[in-house]
Amino acid sequence: MKKIKNMFRYENVGILFVFPAFLYMLVFVGYPIIRNIILSFQDVGAGNLVRGTKNFILFENYAELFGDSVFRISLFNTLKYTVLCLIFQFMIGFMLALFFNQRFTLAKPVRGILLVPWMIPVTVTALMFKLLFATDIGVINYILRSLHLIQKNIEWLTTPGTAMFALICANVWIGIPFNMILISTGLTTIPKELYESASIDGANKVQTFFNITLPLLKPTIESVLILGFIYTFKVYDLVYVMTSGGPVNSTHMLSTYSYKLSFEMFKYSKGSAVANVLLAILLVVGIFYIKITTQGEEE
Amino acid sequence: MDEEKKLTKNKNILFGIISVIILCALLFPLYWAFITSLKTEQEIFLNPPTFYPHVLNTKSYAAQVETGDFNMFRSFANSFVISIGATFIAVLLAVPASYGIAKYHFKGRKVMLLSFLVTQMLPVSVLLTPMFIMFKNIHVYNTWIAAVLADATIGIPFSVLILKNYFSSIPKDLEEAAYLDGCNKFTAFIRILIPIAKPGVMVCAIFSFLYAWGDLAYGMTFILDQERRPITAGIFNFMGQYGTKWSYLTAFAVVTIIPVALIFIFMQKYIVSGMTSGAVKG
Repeated sequence: MKKIKNMFRYENVGILFVFPAFLYMLVFVGYPIIRNIILSFQDVGAGNLVRGTKNFILFENYAELFGDSVFRISLFNTLKYTVLCLIFQFMIGFMLALFFNQRFTLAKPVRGILLVPWMIPVTVTALMFKLLFATDIGVINYILRSLHLIQKNIEWLTTPGTAMFALICANVWIGIPFNMILISTGLTTIPKELYESASIDGANKVQTFFNITLPLLKPTIESVLILGFIYTFKVYDLVYVMTSGGPVNSTHMLSTYSYKLSFEMFKYSKGSAVANVLLAILLVVGIFYIKITTQGEEE
Repeated sequence: MDEEKKLTKNKNILFGIISVIILCALLFPLYWAFITSLKTEQEIFLNPPTFYPHVLNTKSYAAQVETGDFNMFRSFANSFVISIGATFIAVLLAVPASYGIAKYHFKGRKVMLLSFLVTQMLPVSVLLTPMFIMFKNIHVYNTWIAAVLADATIGIPFSVLILKNYFSSIPKDLEEAAYLDGCNKFTAFIRILIPIAKPGVMVCAIFSFLYAWGDLAYGMTFILDQERRPITAGIFNFMGQYGTKWSYLTAFAVVTIIPVALIFIFMQKYIVSGMTSGAVKG
């Protein structure tokens, strides 16, 4: 009994260690989340943001969103962008992971350098891809011209359909290293004996891939895709720098539209409502992620 | 699969060549930005484009130090101060927090752990306006402090989750041995556990720095004056003003990448461990 009592005392010391960080997050993240929800039920504009009376208009902001065509475009764009980015960065990342998992001399050093795109500030990435996709001086147009695929330069970033394509390319470039390194790590956890016994049984490479690699990699694949979804879905900097949601709102995402409403049109409450829709979708996906990662957590 | 067996010599060379081709293709955007920064404006507009600068032009770098209207080195210094500040707060708070979560099963532990996990997923959009109001009210709006405080919120949850794994992997015997030697909980934590978890602390510091260094939304929203804004916001401004001055723009980009490149060159092993342990183990 005495031991248990001591245990309780001992374990609770832990709170003292965690408390400062927790308090910090409560003040600078927890409180803003609540504040943002309240804001979305009010009518806050430039005049009454910091001071002044804020009237509650309840769900009016949200109701307004449903009639707002830009909001619908943003929601659809965000989904489309996320799904397409995920497909390509996952497939390319997977192939690279398999390739660099082979034991050749350059495998490790080259794979290491390939992580660089992931580390670069997104603003810089956006700038680099703006340069590549530039109409007159862009290399992409130059290559397409040289291959005689196009006669006239394409105005990538100022044409609705192609602007989205350029954004996806840039984001896939950032996402490839992330997918590659996580899948690589996943691959190393698969016991080698499985492959050996499979080859003794006469299985070919395709068979071992579908019967051993893929099933054993399932937890890794799940977390890569869910995390990828979360990171891609909340995209902000990349789109804001490359297109700012243009041309004619065709590349607006929930995050950039929310920013535009709040900080360019000063409709803070409506911007908050858009952000909350974004948050709600992320939370649903996040719950899946937490379920998966905490499964093996409990000791 | 034949990974276990050593590859034959020919295969080794072939794969080496393929890997270098992949590397060149994927890093081409970086190379292109770099050589564009060294070209003259006329050469940038040449058709067909030149794949290395025929006339070396370093003016784009020099011009930004000389002309006062857009000083990228000041932006660089701003970014540096902000990122170091955010890193300092993140590490200072996350090290004890992760230790507490890893080693003690106190009431509410799960809730706290979950809340750190959730904050990692938050979009900036949700926090921008409320933080904006808050920073105005506590009179730090338009100062470095606002960006530091906001950027630290990215580093803290990441660091807690990473370091938690480091601390849990340290055997309890070690801690108990420290108590026998006369340490109490706090001195044991500082003298024994932190030094062992040092690689983890490095990972946290590096990633907190990188997150803050790459931030655009907070720096741009909470700091109004160009002289105090971070370098990412500087680039964005510059793009709006001199949209087609690509030699200047790319020079700006190259300067922004320098710290990232240095971190990569000297601390690569921490990067891999940060990217993987942060994501897979949650």
